[in-house]
Amino acid sequence: MYHSRFLFCSVVWASLLAPAAAPFPQGTGSQAALVQQSSIIFVGTVSQLGATSFADVPKSPQTIVVRVESVLKKPVAVSLKKGDNVTVEAKDPSAFRPGMEATFYTDGWIFGSGVAVKELGHAIRPSGGRPGGTASSEEKALGQIEGQISDQELKQRMASADYVVIAKVTDVRTWTAPNAASVPHRVTEHDPDWHDAVIKIESVLKGPKLKKKELVVRFPQCNDVAWVHAPKFEKNQEGIFFLKKDDISGAPVALLEGTEVSAYTCLRPGDWLPKSDAARVRSLLKK
Amino acid sequence: MTIFPVLGKRIRAYGTLVLVVGMLFARGPSPLSGKRGTPEGKTPLHLASMFDFNASGALDDAHFIPPVHVTPVRENANAENTGKAVAPGGAAGLQVKIVDLIPASLSGETNQDSEPFLAIQPANPQVMVASAFTPNPISATGNAPVYVSQDGGNSWVLNAIAPVQRMTCDITHAMAAGENHPRGDLHAGTLACTSTITLGESETIDVSSSTSMNVQSTRSNVDQPFVRALAISNSDHIYVGVNDFNQPGGHTATVDVSADGGATYKSISIEARGTMGQDGPSIRPAVAGDNTVYAAFFGWRKFDGKTATSDVVVVRDDMGATGANPFQALKDPSDNLPGRLVVKGVAIPWSNLPTLGQERIGSTLSIAVDPSNSSTVYVGWADQGSKGDIYTLHVRRSTDRGATWSGSDLPNTTIRNATNIALAVATNGVAGLLYQQFTGSRWITHLVQSHDGFATIQDTILASVPADAPAEQFLPYLGDYDYLLAAGNEFPGVFCANNTPDLGNFPQGVTYQRAADFNKKKLTDGSGKLVPISIDPFYFSVAVIP
Repeated sequence: MYHSRFLFCSVVWASLLAPAAAPFPQGTGSQAALVQQSSIIFVGTVSQLGATSFADVPKSPQTIVVRVESVLKKPVAVSLKKGDNVTVEAKDPSAFRPGMEATFYTDGWIFGSGVAVKELGHAIRPSGGRPGGTASSEEKALGQIEGQISDQELKQRMASADYVVIAKVTDVRTWTAPNAASVPHRVTEHDPDWHDAVIKIESVLKGPKLKKKELVVRFPQCNDVAWVHAPKFEKNQEGIFFLKKDDISGAPVALLEGTEVSAYTCLRPGDWLPKSDAARVRSLLKK
Repeated sequence: MTIFPVLGKRIRAYGTLVLVVGMLFARGPSPLSGKRGTPEGKTPLHLASMFDFNASGALDDAHFIPPVHVTPVRENANAENTGKAVAPGGAAGLQVKIVDLIPASLSGETNQDSEPFLAIQPANPQVMVASAFTPNPISATGNAPVYVSQDGGNSWVLNAIAPVQRMTCDITHAMAAGENHPRGDLHAGTLACTSTITLGESETIDVSSSTSMNVQSTRSNVDQPFVRALAISNSDHIYVGVNDFNQPGGHTATVDVSADGGATYKSISIEARGTMGQDGPSIRPAVAGDNTVYAAFFGWRKFDGKTATSDVVVVRDDMGATGANPFQALKDPSDNLPGRLVVKGVAIPWSNLPTLGQERIGSTLSIAVDPSNSSTVYVGWADQGSKGDIYTLHVRRSTDRGATWSGSDLPNTTIRNATNIALAVATNGVAGLLYQQFTGSRWITHLVQSHDGFATIQDTILASVPADAPAEQFLPYLGDYDYLLAAGNEFPGVFCANNTPDLGNFPQGVTYQRAADFNKKKLTDGSGKLVPISIDPFYFSVAVIP
């Protein structure tokens, strides 16, 4: 157990500090990318080849059964723990033999009485590894990689935005598409029920200088399944807005104090962040 | 109303009797005044008739406690995943099976897994696929999942193969065996809701594959795909009802038809009359083995933002909708246009807010054809109903291929404050009616069976769960539909409900795959940590009455 933890820490830290020299998992070029792609990462021992760990998983030459030694990353909803047998659909089953220990970087496949995963990569754990490392150090190392990934995602979000602003919502009003809109109004349960939020800009972190200190953010007020994850706004709500020019409502303009202005949207989860993230966002913008 | 003579005239499940007696004891003598006439002058017992309605039109059953006549059975008590409870056969002589679809390895999930659907492989009914608004459990970028059973619905796994990122915002599907794939072919209609809403019509020949379904056709600006399929010779015929806003003239009720396993689709508008600019969201095909295809839809004539004035329209095609003039076999005598008007100008409330309990309302519709006699067809819908009702179900029947329809609701099918109507007809001609009724404090899921057009009925309560919990995460709360099929001598189907592991909520018993403690009525994540209740999809099968 300590062997595996030490090895995982070694792999993680080596990839962080000297990526070119790190013992990367087979089949990958970047461990950070692999960690990002992997929804389930665990250390395990191969117990069977060409087998499955529970019914309903199609057995094939690609499937192997792995006994879990430790779980390094998994979603909260997934029940997976030390001692469980997992079916892994291996990319190259000839790389494994019974008794072999490895760290498995995987994505989910079938969830039933057990878990079946698809291998994205693995790192063989040679026998005789030095003891060392702890579960907390493994998690810390993994957490640092995931923190990097989160920062990277945030930078991508900023890069794709037309404006990144710190602002406060001063007004929220219903918006109805004009008859001339390119997307005519339809009666459907997925109707977004567009509303316009007027935001007063405190500072512009990205984007051209504004003549007025206000923008209009168009957002779906509807709680339909199609829009449930889109940010919704209330008067006096403050935060960081990652804005794009409206290309969805069918009429990308709004009235602001009698003047026609461009409407913006921030539809993805994470396109609005609380003001407490301002320092982090400013820091990433400088990098 | 004297209950026992009535029971003597009716086919009744023992479970229903126990339930009724339980209600009598729970509620006292006052409510037994709801007498309902039938064309024969009989007074069939209907559970809804036995409740008092409060001023809002909702059933008031605050003190209603469903009787429990099940025996919890712990399996593998030493294992962590011990949340399994089964009933010893449900009601006497009635085979009932109810299974929570969430698998053990996802015991920690708390999603609102609403709006269920079901497909059964006709060549091997052990193979089934179900779906709901279940997100990919591990990835925001991975495929949306479906539930797969290979043992007749006893156990289910989640397999992320739907061709939509993370979660669909509509999904229905059907299986046909024309191409003879043991775990296929599954044909799905999905909506992906990112910046635009996009329909995908897709197929897989193996529902357990790790490969995403193959998208065969796609387009945007449509709503609510509803898939039925039929094997013709060595080919799968697929019928997808969609509300297609691309259709000219507001004739949006559409059926996408494929006669080649989904390789090509032809979009056919089935609306022949003027609309308010569009039809209602629900377009429902029904297919019979003799190549008869019906479709029902709401022909929206007016809309004021809160109420649609609608016709309920049924069209028919006798050649699998592959001829030159599809869906024009039925014409209404009033205007000689294609599409028989089952009812005209009914008021259908439209609310995209919690209105019936925590559920929205506006477009529940179902049609079913007798597989042994395609001349017999049932259609059911909901509208504003009588004063005080929020939403009222109705069922009508035609026995002459849709040419004429019963002039009023079939007996026992005017059902107050209910939604999610689903109809099916078994091979022996027995009609099944699934619906979910809001009582003011509970959601009660009914499966009603009848061999005589609902003059006599057998009503099986599948679930009676608290309506105020869990809190709505999004709409629909339970679903804009649930689903019922007929397969052999069973009515299999799916519904969604509060997943509290309380045998009192499931009078016929229930099996949980996910970790649950039925004694403490708590869910756990499999390692003992408590998990909040949520909405889960439930599979059921009920034996068809003789």
